[in-house]
Amino acid sequence: MKTVRLLVAFLVLAACASPVPAMAAAKTTLVLGVDISDTRTFDPARQFEYSPPITMRAAYETLVTMTPGDYVRVKPLLAKSWKLVDGGKAWQFQLREGVKFASGNPLTAEDVKFSFERLQNVKDQPADLTENLAAVEVVDPLTVKLVMVDKNQPLLNVLASITFAVVDSKTVQAQGGTSAKDAEKADKATAWLDAHSAGTGPYTLTSWVRNSEVVLERNKSYWRAPAAFERVVLRHSGDSAAQLLALRRSDIDAALNLTPDQLDGLAKEPSLRLVSGTSLDYMYMTLTGSAELNKALANRAARQAVAHAIDYDGIIKGLMGGHAIRPASFIPVGLGGSTEAFTREVGYRQDLAKAKKLLADAGVASGFTFKVSYGKASIAGTSYDLVAQKIQSDLARVGITAELDPLDQATLRTQYKEGKTQSVLTFWNPDAPDAYLWAQPAVGRVSKRVHWAVPKEVADLVTRAGGEADAAKQTALYREFQKILVDQANYVILIQPVYRVATSKAITGYALTAAGWQVDLYDVKPAK
Amino acid sequence: MRLRYVATRVVASVLMALAATLVVFLIAHTVPADPILAQLGDKASANAELVARFRARWALDRPLWEQYAIFVGRLAQGDLGESIASRRPVLVDIGQYAPATIELATLAALLTLLVGVPLGVLAAVKRDGWLDHGARLACLVGVSAPTFWLAFIVLALFYGGLQIAPSPGRLDAGAVPPPHVTGLFLLDSLLARDWPTFRSALAHMLLPAAVLAASTLGLITRTTRAAMLDVLGQDYVRVARAKGLTEGGVVRGHAVPNALLPVVTLGGLAYAELLAGTVLTETIFSWPGLGRYTYQSAIALDFPAIMGVTLLVAVIYLAMNFVVDVSYSWLDPRVTR
Amino acid sequence: MAGPARHALIRRHGLGPLGAGIILAWLVVLAIGPRIAPYSFRAVDVLTRLQAPSADHYFGTDALGRDVFSRVLVGTRISLPSGFAVVLVAALFGTLYGSVAAYAGAKPEEAMMRVTDLFLSFPPLLLAMAIAAALGKGVGNTILAMAVVWWPKYARLARSLVLVQRSVEYVEAAHALGHGPVRTLVRHIVPNVMGPIVVLLTLDVGNSMITFAGLSFLGLGVVPPAPEWGAMVSDGQVLVEQWWVSTFPGLAIFTVVVGFNFLGDALRDWLDPRGRRA
Repeated sequence: MKTVRLLVAFLVLAACASPVPAMAAAKTTLVLGVDISDTRTFDPARQFEYSPPITMRAAYETLVTMTPGDYVRVKPLLAKSWKLVDGGKAWQFQLREGVKFASGNPLTAEDVKFSFERLQNVKDQPADLTENLAAVEVVDPLTVKLVMVDKNQPLLNVLASITFAVVDSKTVQAQGGTSAKDAEKADKATAWLDAHSAGTGPYTLTSWVRNSEVVLERNKSYWRAPAAFERVVLRHSGDSAAQLLALRRSDIDAALNLTPDQLDGLAKEPSLRLVSGTSLDYMYMTLTGSAELNKALANRAARQAVAHAIDYDGIIKGLMGGHAIRPASFIPVGLGGSTEAFTREVGYRQDLAKAKKLLADAGVASGFTFKVSYGKASIAGTSYDLVAQKIQSDLARVGITAELDPLDQATLRTQYKEGKTQSVLTFWNPDAPDAYLWAQPAVGRVSKRVHWAVPKEVADLVTRAGGEADAAKQTALYREFQKILVDQANYVILIQPVYRVATSKAITGYALTAAGWQVDLYDVKPAK
Repeated sequence: MRLRYVATRVVASVLMALAATLVVFLIAHTVPADPILAQLGDKASANAELVARFRARWALDRPLWEQYAIFVGRLAQGDLGESIASRRPVLVDIGQYAPATIELATLAALLTLLVGVPLGVLAAVKRDGWLDHGARLACLVGVSAPTFWLAFIVLALFYGGLQIAPSPGRLDAGAVPPPHVTGLFLLDSLLARDWPTFRSALAHMLLPAAVLAASTLGLITRTTRAAMLDVLGQDYVRVARAKGLTEGGVVRGHAVPNALLPVVTLGGLAYAELLAGTVLTETIFSWPGLGRYTYQSAIALDFPAIMGVTLLVAVIYLAMNFVVDVSYSWLDPRVTR
Repeated sequence: MAGPARHALIRRHGLGPLGAGIILAWLVVLAIGPRIAPYSFRAVDVLTRLQAPSADHYFGTDALGRDVFSRVLVGTRISLPSGFAVVLVAALFGTLYGSVAAYAGAKPEEAMMRVTDLFLSFPPLLLAMAIAAALGKGVGNTILAMAVVWWPKYARLARSLVLVQRSVEYVEAAHALGHGPVRTLVRHIVPNVMGPIVVLLTLDVGNSMITFAGLSFLGLGVVPPAPEWGAMVSDGQVLVEQWWVSTFPGLAIFTVVVGFNFLGDALRDWLDPRGRRA
């Protein structure tokens, strides 16, 4: 009994001793609650996961950038102007004067050359984004020329991706970094870059404790007005319900991983504000064209039947609370002329009568069976599992049996990438915001996975669209392409989420972007 | 004699730990997944040259026996290889996550023992009284409530509702950890005489430790009670009573030590299990521990990490069961080999 | 019935009958559940999703608009037998293994115990993934996957208990009477050690149902939309406001655990050769 009493006293004392978070009069620290467990590195030449770009965009800057909502025209950032030169084969950028890295070193064209060549020569995952970059030439200390491999393929919009962060070449080299051809083996700067940053951004990375938190501090050498906060902390939280509690307790200023139902519950909360932004990500379903994998699905009419049996509105309004849109096919709404109106005109919609007729056309009037594989994950708080069960029940109404095949992520990704699946539910998020980066894979690597032998005309159509300079003509070409995809019915796009973040009213300026870094922390300021 | 037993045991344990890694290595390779394809982004996966290069980096293109031989060779030099997911030495990964779990597990085990054993003894001695029934009900709730549910309820109550508990995580947001000596924040802050950090670390640890203790508490209490009841009915206890010993004397001197055997067995297993990490509690309390690491490694089929963790867990169980076995003969002299 | 009288009743019979009653009730549900369920367990209707308990839906609806009450009823057929089967298989094999080890000579016992240590070191999730890959999915394979991970606990417990009993007087007496080791083991030792083992077994039942659900994301256990209780609890985990989605299946698990636990205690008392201690 005495032991128990002592224990209780001890517990109470310890709990009371814990520092209660003070609501500071002047807010100097911004705290975000976010799942950062996917973080492997903060080295721009190696980084390719979903959450690190938030941090990287705060510490590094690119030549050009995109503002939320406009993913077609790039805006100046480190480059103040640019033009096509050498007969359209190269872009020449004029760098801003007076920009300094956090170390105090001035930004020059040499740094741009170093950064991009290092990205290419380290030959890690993101190096593929430089596939259209043939060479980087320093014209003068504030002018740099990027020579393309193929002038008909995109480069300008790709440069907005945080992968093309401009790093402080002197600092990185001092830490063992190199941009030489043997960088793959010779570069040793990654370990340092995981705990520090060498960029021009408004904040600098000062610490990363894996699966715990990332801490950034104000960059005093920043070329624009100083950042609004002294410190930014990205606090890891792997559970949405726990994030919700932390937000309510004002321990975090923004919660990035809440589910639609949790967010709806916050709509009336006076001290919180919901910020939303349409993304360029989407959840999609593949349908194989291989007769060996599934005889019925090999028939296009059967695939179209599946596409016409799904209750898209039910998924979006019911499961996502209406916070999602849907493209016609592989190009997301907001790029390449893909709009919601276009989806209504050309895209799939639930039509059970049409689905049954298509089944008859395919010779499987009584229905057929196929396997839908997916992993344990959620998009905007809605799990694949939930969507799969909804689709299963939709398809059952026309006699199609969808067998659900939950798999662990490793097996799922392997089987999908090796083209062994009948149907998968999976996720696409941008490498960089350019429609070509969706269109090309649709007739390239993804088409192989679904066993679609792409006709030459279709592949050529994509190439022409990519190289088309006139915006209106390009839109027409991409739209024609989307119509073909809809007819082909190997890809069924289900949900393009409108992400929502719950923020405290103690901060303002939080705006979501679909360009890859989710939010530009420089814009976030304490509320007056 | 004793020494020889210990030596034999140590050798057998080392062999067994190695055997565990071999078996797990083979088991892991039956899963038809490629850890490189699983980890790479969509575009990079289609880059055959990149994939081949990465596979070579982790020797995944070599035959199985050669891969295992490489592992053993490295192990002999104290190197557990490089994790495919984090691209860091597995030893460094484990060195980062293990202390967090060790601290939490130890506190949870202490709480379980300090509350569970006395409660079980009392429940047995005052059998069918209100204490017995009350304890039993509490145990049943603790045991049948899923850990993640309990974790969330506890967090919602003490952190969200009553607001007396600190935020999930080992320390507050942006707080500076104590200078690294062991990675155990309690110990490190004590060594650095950093009292505020010590208190903060302890406060952050209480809720998750309590949740972990709740699930093992039920088992320990009920087992203690059952074992006590068995023992209290035995002859030598009647003899002790007949000798004129008080009930308390009987309980303390004779019943408890013998009753402790199954409790120590299960307690040892429970502590070892806690040391291996519990992913669900770690997730809800944002505790960067071994449970999460083990889970992520299995999901991603990160062979080096999987084998490294298996080795660690093997050592934990082997060591724990050794300690428990040795304690048997101390607790009950009849149990000697 | 007045307080003291009821107390005396419980004192005399224990809570065993209550436990038996609970389990019996669940067995009845297992038999007739699907037939009395008002809705189909797989009837998806996103327009009626996440509705609070009402006259239409006694336990409310889940994230896909399915009736939670019907799903709990139908889920009895899946969760109850499989949860129990895992624990039974693990306990039977483990107890036998541990008892034999304690009774065998020093060297065989050491070897056998090291083998349990080996099994304890395996990462359970990886084992489950491998079994799913190698043997395929299905409830049987899931039971195997879980039993393989759980039996060492019973083995070590049984061994520790039998070690003590081995040297007790009545064992020597049985020896003197000429009883063989097997007979001694089964008729004298096992009844005396059943106490803690039965406790562990009954307490593990709920745990096994939850763990069963935890494997479903690998495709093990039951494939959605099967209404497995543990899966329902974990699916409802994120739904903070909509407490009914995980609470009712959670209560189902809880009552089953309570029932088995009371029954288990009664079983222990019944097996105790000295009868209930005065």
